Amino acid sequence: MDAKLRRLQKEIADLRADTASKITIELVDDSLLHLLGTFIGPPDTPYEGGTYEVDIVIPQTYPFSPPKMKFLTKLYHPNVSSASGAICLDILKDAWSPVLTLKSTMISLQSLLCSPEPTDPQDAEVAKHYMTSRESFNDTARYWAEIYAGAPPTEKKAGASNTEGEEKAATDGKKGKAPVKKAPVVDEIAAAGLNVAHVQQFEALGFERRKVIEVLKRLNYRGTNIAKITDDQVVEKLLS
Amino acid sequence: MSDSYDDDEYMEEEEEDLFEDEVMSDDDAAMDNEEGDYPVIPDKDKPKSYDVESKSLSVDDVQKDMRSQVEYVVSVFGLEPDTARMLLRDYGWNRERMTEQYMEDPSKVLIKAGIEPDATSPRSPIRSTSSQPPKESSFSFRRSTRKNPVPDPVTESKFMCPICCDDEPPSTLALACNHRFCSDCWSQYLEGKVRDEGECVVRCMKDGCSLLVPDSFIKEHSSAKTYDRFEELVLRHYVSHIAHLKFCPAPGCTDTVSCTAAATKSALDTVVPSVSCAHGHKFCFGCSIDADHRPVLCKVAKLWVKKCQDDSETANWIKTNTKECSKCQSTIEKNGGCNHMTCKKCKHEFCWVCMGPWSDHGTQWYSCNRYDDKAAIEARDAQSKSRISLERYLHYYNRWANHEQSAKLSAELYVKTEKKMEEMQLTTDLTWIEVQFAKKAVEEVLRCRATLKWTYAMAYYLDKSNEKELFEDNQRDLEKAVEDLSELLESPIEAETIPELRANMTNKTVYVQKRNEIMLEDTAQGFREGRWTWNVDLP
Repeated sequence: MDAKLRRLQKEIADLRADTASKITIELVDDSLLHLLGTFIGPPDTPYEGGTYEVDIVIPQTYPFSPPKMKFLTKLYHPNVSSASGAICLDILKDAWSPVLTLKSTMISLQSLLCSPEPTDPQDAEVAKHYMTSRESFNDTARYWAEIYAGAPPTEKKAGASNTEGEEKAATDGKKGKAPVKKAPVVDEIAAAGLNVAHVQQFEALGFERRKVIEVLKRLNYRGTNIAKITDDQVVEKLLS
Repeated sequence: MSDSYDDDEYMEEEEEDLFEDEVMSDDDAAMDNEEGDYPVIPDKDKPKSYDVESKSLSVDDVQKDMRSQVEYVVSVFGLEPDTARMLLRDYGWNRERMTEQYMEDPSKVLIKAGIEPDATSPRSPIRSTSSQPPKESSFSFRRSTRKNPVPDPVTESKFMCPICCDDEPPSTLALACNHRFCSDCWSQYLEGKVRDEGECVVRCMKDGCSLLVPDSFIKEHSSAKTYDRFEELVLRHYVSHIAHLKFCPAPGCTDTVSCTAAATKSALDTVVPSVSCAHGHKFCFGCSIDADHRPVLCKVAKLWVKKCQDDSETANWIKTNTKECSKCQSTIEKNGGCNHMTCKKCKHEFCWVCMGPWSDHGTQWYSCNRYDDKAAIEARDAQSKSRISLERYLHYYNRWANHEQSAKLSAELYVKTEKKMEEMQLTTDLTWIEVQFAKKAVEEVLRCRATLKWTYAMAYYLDKSNEKELFEDNQRDLEKAVEDLSELLESPIEAETIPELRANMTNKTVYVQKRNEIMLEDTAQGFREGRWTWNVDLP
């Protein structure tokens, strides 16, 4: 039998036998070369309790080349693209060794969630957010974990400004006639890790909400950074 | 940009081949000229003072060079050639630094390079006192087959290759670190690393193990093709780390050029290292901007090209579509509306037509008849001053680009000239050899245009001084001579005037060549003397 398939079968069998790690690997179709992995967000991180799905494509030269992995579940993390799920991790590139397995790689992904490397980012905007305002970053990452990865809602009140705004808007929605309609709009601001008041401030100047969010995200309009960015600069970007 | 140059080189090459088809050598032409009344076009291959010394090396030459480095280390430290080569590779072929540090602490250097200290010398005693079984430290790798009468410690306890999960591999291998895998996996791994990834530094397959796979192991356990590729990679590694060596960048060319004159960064402050390999591919040893950007230094050429990429289109657009605010000099584009302008930056209000302040216009909105007003004239003066630097840049850029464009049309010019040469043969009794003067003229024009092109980049950055004036005199003389010769090349062929044309063109070619040499020689000397002063800080 093909050495690659033999090894994959053993790896999958080993993972099924091991229930402690809470890592699962399933076949996507009949082939062993396209797999779907899941793991649970590690404790004491914003990702805690979320279920993260990873798309795994096994190259023909496996295990001499690393498997191609990307997140299917959206997550807010400096080393993971918030748009495509692409992962920046050395063992998935040049530091791969044929001795590493799908399980060890999944564990590495899990630990990547514990210790982000903002100096070698995949998503520069997220990394900037992480560097400037950790608390606000954690709130956003937690928010993403709750809405995308099915993490249980947090009990504690996340003190940061953005969630405050979100809650306020949510209660507004309940009072109004069409509460369902308003919810996704607020999502967008919280998901971008921005403050509702800031977005509304520029919206009031006649700019589209989507555009405002995009620009503020790009400028990293968060935490201490806000003091460094003048309103003119924001407007200039909004106009360009 | 470099792509288009490559294309040009190709075209030129092809065209030269066209001519070469007509069996003919430069010597014949020279002989012929000596017999006639025409001046001899001097041999272009003679080394000039502005040429840098360089040597073209074949693959074998470089290999020999590399081997001698390895042999030196072998002879000094009594190391295995393999080990010496791996060490030198780890030190980026810096032999001095390697020998110095090795003398201080050999095992530290070896471990850092990923080499098992015990395995380096066959003469070193087997570590029989160590806690490990003596067999393990005696050699860097061992082959164990199941036929082996002495069972391997690992195979004893039912070995399974951790990579392919085969529990009955026909044979297994391990390096000195004793991370054991089956031989099939080893050879697949080596093929992948060497052939697909192009690595000449291959480490043990175990993650985190930094032991280097010895060259001899690669030779023994991979295909001949893979090992050849490995040797090639080692050679590339060598050339890329030796400062005075560079591969010829021409596609498919295997030559290496050695140029000690341009080996250091500081040397590039005084020389422009245009070199060519044994196959005649020309390239600059110091940069990849242009094959030959003489007379201008690499860093100045780089500055210029960058400026052109950034600025020239923008500058052209600014020149035609904008004006500057007469108060704060911000550049303003008027994209509609009336002539009453308010500068967004300094809030200065002015008239777009006369550039004077708007307050003087009183109630005459939307019309301006105040062109000669004093304030308006002053405002326009200030405006034109701020345009000077832009104009200056465009002056040099347009000339530079013009010569570049002419060089791009070189292939066409060759074809056209060849047709003319055939025509001359038909209309007169001149032989093919006798009409070669036209081809020589074309070659010279192209060479001089390349020089001229870069003189404009140089002139842009030269400080205003007497030296610069002399430089521009030389430039002007060369340009005039080149344009004269170009015109002559375009002139129609008439049977009765051909002898005259021939004499004229040959004369002019020699003259142009002289002018070009003067230009290049003078600038090269200027660099050596530090005569040129720049209006920018060179990096």
